[in-house]
Amino acid sequence: MELRHVRMGMILGSLVALAGVGCASGQKTPMLGSGDPVADRQRLMKNNGANWADIQNKVKAGNIEGVAVNAEALALHAQRITLVFPEGSLTDKSKAKPEIWQKWPEFQAAAKNLENRAGTLRDQAVAKDAAAVQTTVTTFGRDACGTCHTPFRVPPQQPAQPRS
Amino acid sequence: MKLRHVKTTILLGSVVALAVASSATGQSTTKLWTSDVVADRQRLMKLNGASWADAQAKLKAGNAEAVAVNAEAMALIATQILPLFPEGSLTDKSKAKPEIWQKWPEFESSVKNYAMQAEKLRDAARTKDLAATEAVAKEFGRQACGTCHTPFRVPPPQQQAPQR
Repeated sequence: MELRHVRMGMILGSLVALAGVGCASGQKTPMLGSGDPVADRQRLMKNNGANWADIQNKVKAGNIEGVAVNAEALALHAQRITLVFPEGSLTDKSKAKPEIWQKWPEFQAAAKNLENRAGTLRDQAVAKDAAAVQTTVTTFGRDACGTCHTPFRVPPQQPAQPRS
Repeated sequence: MKLRHVKTTILLGSVVALAVASSATGQSTTKLWTSDVVADRQRLMKLNGASWADAQAKLKAGNAEAVAVNAEAMALIATQILPLFPEGSLTDKSKAKPEIWQKWPEFESSVKNYAMQAEKLRDAARTKDLAATEAVAKEFGRQACGTCHTPFRVPPPQQQAPQR
């Protein structure tokens, strides 16, 4: 009886959610709201970078559990990445490489990889597993950030454009 | 066996919901990470809560500047709230009040207010001014969280579950 209730709820919930999605999808932009996808994604990625810096500070300070909130922020932000790279959104302010749109499935996979690795880091932090967190953090720059930045972002090296 | 049945139904329901959702939006689902908006928004709001807790811990430690990353994360998360409340997405697992959809413009403006308050906290933190940041933080629970939670969320049954 309880179970049947659950099942019915699930079915109803799915249907209702579906109807909602149908209505909602037409209206709002999937962006962050500014209407400028380059500004949106730079803002998103800056917060990713700031979360990563916070993670490193916390690990250094021995605050393993405190890493979880930043890792979860990375995981949730990662889910938005592909949405803020609509085709044709390459401006002179953008550091994106055209390879993003030429190899879209690989770009998608790289964003998904960030989400997964951030999720792993979050789970390790929640478990207060200091050794595991440290190991993940050690390779995170290469295995999470790098797998996308190396093929898909123009390296920031030269002081070509001063950032404000 | 009964449980398995339920599980299968849930799975099937999810898959179908997902498939239809994808075709409805034309591309990859933009609003839903899973097929369950209630779970999605609860995950999102949990990160908001954890970010707020982290910000408070940092303030307590006298580190105003470090609050900026959490405040910015909250501001970014705020831009995702509305699409995660499609009409009719009220299940028995949800703490949402039906008032959300009865007073949608007010719900919208309280979400907007939340984003602005988070940005205010972020900007105060970026000045590294501890007193100024604390002043914003002091009002944050009431001015940012409360203006939405009071009218639009069923209060937790017990007094404030301990936050981690």
